[in-house]
Parts: sequence; structure tokens; C-alpha cells
Amino acid sequence: MIRSSLGRLGLFKTKAEEAASGQRLTASHRAAGRRRSDFSLRAVRSRLFGLEADKGLLFRIILYILLIDVAFIYLKPVIYMVTTMVKAAPDLLDPAVIWVPTAIYGGHLAEALQMLNYARSFGISLSVATLSAVFQVFSCAVAGYAFARLEFPLKKLWFGALLFTFIMPPQVTILPSILLFKELGWINTFLPMIVPTLFGHGLKGALFVLIFRQFFSTLPKEMEEAARIDGAGSLRIFFRVMLPISRSAIVVVFLFSFVWAWNDAYFPSMYMFGAQDVPLSVGLSKLNAQLAMEAQEGGLRAFLEPVKMAASFLIILPLLVLYAFTQRWFVEGVERTGLVE
Amino acid sequence: MSIELEPARPLPKQNGGNRKLGLAARIRRNAALQRKLEGSLFIAPWVFGFLVFVAFPLVYSLYMSFHQVRITVTGVQTTPVGLAYYREILFADGGLLYDDLMPFLREALVMIPIILVFSLMIAILLNMKFAGRTMFRVIFFLPVIFASGQIITEFMNQGEGSLGVISSLRIDYMLARYLPASWAGPISNVIGSFVLVLWYSGVQILIFLAGRQTIARSVYEAARIDGADPWSTFWKITLPGMVPFIFLNLIYTIVDLFTYPSNPIISKVTTENYGVSSALAWIYFMIVLLFVGLALLIYSRVNRSLSPTR
Repeated sequence: MIRSSLGRLGLFKTKAEEAASGQRLTASHRAAGRRRSDFSLRAVRSRLFGLEADKGLLFRIILYILLIDVAFIYLKPVIYMVTTMVKAAPDLLDPAVIWVPTAIYGGHLAEALQMLNYARSFGISLSVATLSAVFQVFSCAVAGYAFARLEFPLKKLWFGALLFTFIMPPQVTILPSILLFKELGWINTFLPMIVPTLFGHGLKGALFVLIFRQFFSTLPKEMEEAARIDGAGSLRIFFRVMLPISRSAIVVVFLFSFVWAWNDAYFPSMYMFGAQDVPLSVGLSKLNAQLAMEAQEGGLRAFLEPVKMAASFLIILPLLVLYAFTQRWFVEGVERTGLVE
Repeated sequence: MSIELEPARPLPKQNGGNRKLGLAARIRRNAALQRKLEGSLFIAPWVFGFLVFVAFPLVYSLYMSFHQVRITVTGVQTTPVGLAYYREILFADGGLLYDDLMPFLREALVMIPIILVFSLMIAILLNMKFAGRTMFRVIFFLPVIFASGQIITEFMNQGEGSLGVISSLRIDYMLARYLPASWAGPISNVIGSFVLVLWYSGVQILIFLAGRQTIARSVYEAARIDGADPWSTFWKITLPGMVPFIFLNLIYTIVDLFTYPSNPIISKVTTENYGVSSALAWIYFMIVLLFVGLALLIYSRVNRSLSPTR
């Protein structure tokens, strides 16, 4: 009941907003039309600079130049990565071939696949990232809700502890953690990366708690009070009212958590230094070391770059796929949630 | 809380009404207690995690920094050495800390403003309405995916970090000529890896984008009706409204830069010598705290000076 009415409320609000912005747009268009009719200096000026920051022609041009430039900077390494890894030996040697290879060659990809031990490493990376993302979404939401709305003893102290955890570099605690996990017999397994996430810690856990806290404190209090009057306890309110409407925050935290857990090479390399099967992120540095060694021993391989690029591509590919699917919710979530305040 | 809710001391005459009131108060007090219990239930896992995975290792690493630690088959042996490791790192042997730290700090000081200004600019641009906005947003969120991984180092090694313009304008040469060597090096490093700076701005752009949404549209409408031009709208409305997010980003950037695994100090914290590494980590942590504290201090000053005008 509550959920559906809320959903309707949210829908209504966005529609109203859209309508309002539409009206504004047509009004400004009309104004622009009126301006166009008189050829005074002011008209030219307002065409060039606009009455609002984002309306002037000159500004538009600058905007696109800036954005396209920066977008190119962001995309260039990706394009370089993809084009380099499919270049065969003749293309790599040919100075005329810069971006577009003459033929697509899959040898480097196959080699990287085999060197990374891709199937196994992929499985490990996927399970570590998925588990920690799911656990962190849940446990950080619980903790964030408690910090935002509930009363408990020493709340200020624990909030200070949360901020402290956020600021603290992981290196301060890494060595005792290694000893602790060694004591527990978890070294060389991926448990040290997973278990802390169950409790709202782990990689950047404090940040996620803060995001959830921020998000929950922006929600109107009336719904909870209504539910409380209806006799629901905190647990029920949290699962039935708060979690269902926090989709945007959940998407943002899930994606961040997944991506960071996937990319993180520091914790795995500290906790799994002796393991046979390592996550992909560690696999890359292992592969680098292996390639460097081979190169020193006399270089069976003339081209290191394409293999490295192929490996990088293989590591990043699942993230790109994930992002392609969730990007719509993510962008919307960032806008609508209080990712901040 | 419960004391406030409790009614005034009952008068002896109204016996029947009294008992009712007392009951209601007790129920209310019970409800408050129950809420506290529920709250404790919600926070308990986090507190447990904090004690086990943060507080215990923290205290233990502080303990280790004052001790010589030997890991043996039977267990951990420690012999107290007092402040010897701290003295060694801070005064005797500069190599471990200063050689890497100073250039890094200078680089960070150059990088942080660039990151902040750049991400604020991009976020404001992305917030405007124009054709292809969605596409640009998708592209601009890419750094969030790449920048946390090993991939970024891989890209840097390919020389993707530098802009062609900079080498062709010979900016390095100019810098070396007009600045002292201790600053010219880090600055030209930052410029040399300028793209890297842009890559680090992913999350900051997100924070600014979300923060920009908190400034009500009606404020801009009002400014437009009053005939404010875009330039003064930016300085009078957007920027003051963004101040909290600028500082949030400042702190995030400091924390992110200083805890990045490829950071020179962090790579020195190894399992080779637990005592020295712990001492180093603690000294480094104090430096991070100093920076964050400085940022917070500036924030409180700025906030105080802004608040009367708002």
C-alpha cells in the first residue's frame, strides 16, 4: 500500500517537474523569437551570449568544444587499447598504421586469455565483487539507516568512528589484519575481502554507509511515522518501506562497490600472496611480471604491448558490459538520490 | 527523551486518572526503550565489524610500531623498542619518508585544485540542457570504472598520460627556468600526467553533479527575472551553493589521493618489517589527518563568513 502510493507520488512529482520545465522552455523560445525580430546590438549580443548561461550561441560552441575534447581524452586510451590488441605483427611495425589495423588478429587476445588463466580468475573476481557488492549494499544500508534515523547509545561516538574509518588509510591496519586473518586461517582465500563487507566494512565501506545515511536522512519522516503509528517496528519499516524506495542509492552503491572490488589489487595481493588462483586485478600485475621476465630472458615475444592491452581489455570488459546495462539507472540515481545531502 | 514525555507528578486526589497516566507514560517509556533496542540491533553488526576489523588492528599496529616484531612458527614475539622506529624514520634515515613524501605532497598540492576546478566545471556543463547530454554523461562516468584499477597504470605506461600540446609548447623547459627545482619537478610531473588528473576526477564529477541538483531552480528563475547575467549568476548563486560540496570533494580527493595503493609511501608498508612499517603507516596517517583537519578548518572559516550573507 504505502509503497504503491509513494511510487505514484514520485511519478506525479517528476511529471509535474517535466511539465514545468517544458513550459519554461517554450516561454524562452518565444522570448528568443521576439528578440530575433529587432536587429539592435542588444539582440546580437543576446544571441551570442544568451540571457541565461546555457542559451548563447557562443557559449554553446565553447561548451561542445570543451566537452568533446575531454570526452576524447577519456575515450582515447580505450580506443588505443582496443585497436592495439587486434593488430597483427605487420600492422604493429608499419608506421602508416596508427589507429585502424589492416586486419583483425585475435592471437594476442588468445594469448592473454591463456596467460591470465581467464576462466578461473574471472570466476574468482566475479564472485568476490558480486558478494562484496551485495553484502555491502545490505549491511551499509542497515548501518546507514541506523545512523540517519534510529536512536542507540553512544551514537555520536560511533559516528565519529565512522568518519575516522573513512579517513584512515587502509595501510595503518593492513599488517595486523594480515596477522588476524592468518590466525583465522583465511590467508590465501578470498574470505578476508568478503567477511568484513558483511558488517558494513571492507573496501570503502565507510563511504557507502555515509552515502546511505545521507540518502535516508533526505527522505521525509512522515512515512516512517505513519508506519510506526500503524504498529510496524523498525525492522519492518526498514524492509518494507525504506529499502524498496531506495533503489537509486542501492544502484549507486552496488555499482561502486562492484567496480572497486573488481579493480582492487591491493587487498588481494596482501591477503592472497601465496594463492594459485588470484582475481583478475592481481593477474594483470602477475602477467606484467611474467612478460618482463620473458623479455629479459631473450624475448620470445616481440610485442608486449598488444598482449598487455588485450589483458587490460579482458579485465575491463565485464565492467563495461555491466555499466552499459546499469548506466541509465546509475545516472538517474546519482541525480536523484542524495549521493550527497 | 523519555523524561520529557513523562507527565507531571500525579496529585494524590485523582487516583483513577493517575494510574492511567502512569501506564501511558510507562508504555511510552517502553516504546522509547524499544526504539533504542531496535536502533542498537541495527547498528550492532557495524559496531562489531568496527571493533574487529578497524579498532583492533588499529590498536595492534600502534602497539607494533613501538616494538620489534618477530613472526615465528609458534606465534608473534615482540620486544619493546620505544620510539626507536619513529626516531629512525623521522630523523635518522630520511630515505624512507622524505624522499618520496615531499615530491608526493607537492604533487598533491598541485593536483587537488586542478581536480576540483576541473570536475566542478565539467559537472556544471553536464548539468545544462543540450543535445547529446546523455551520451556525454555516459562517457564522463567512465573514469569511475577505470581509475580505480591497475588498468590506469597500464595506460600511463603507454604514455597516454600526457597531452601532446604540452611537450610541443615546451612547458617543462619554461618551468625549469622560472621555478625552483623542488617545485618544477612535481609541477611538470603533474602536467606530464595531466590526463591522469582528469581520470581521477570521476567521483568528484558525480558528487558535484548531485550537489548541483540541490540548488533549487526557483533561485535561478528569480535571478533571471531580476536580470542577472550568467556570469554573476555563477558567482552569486552556483558557487556559494556549491561550497559544501567543494569541501566534501576536497576531503574526498585528499583521502583518495592519500590512500591510493600506487602512492609511494603506501607501497613501503610491507610485511618485511612489521615494526618499522607500522610506525611509517602511523606517521603517514597523522599527515593525512593533518591535511583533512586543515581542510575542515578552512571549511568552517568559509562557512562562517558565508552564512550571514545567505
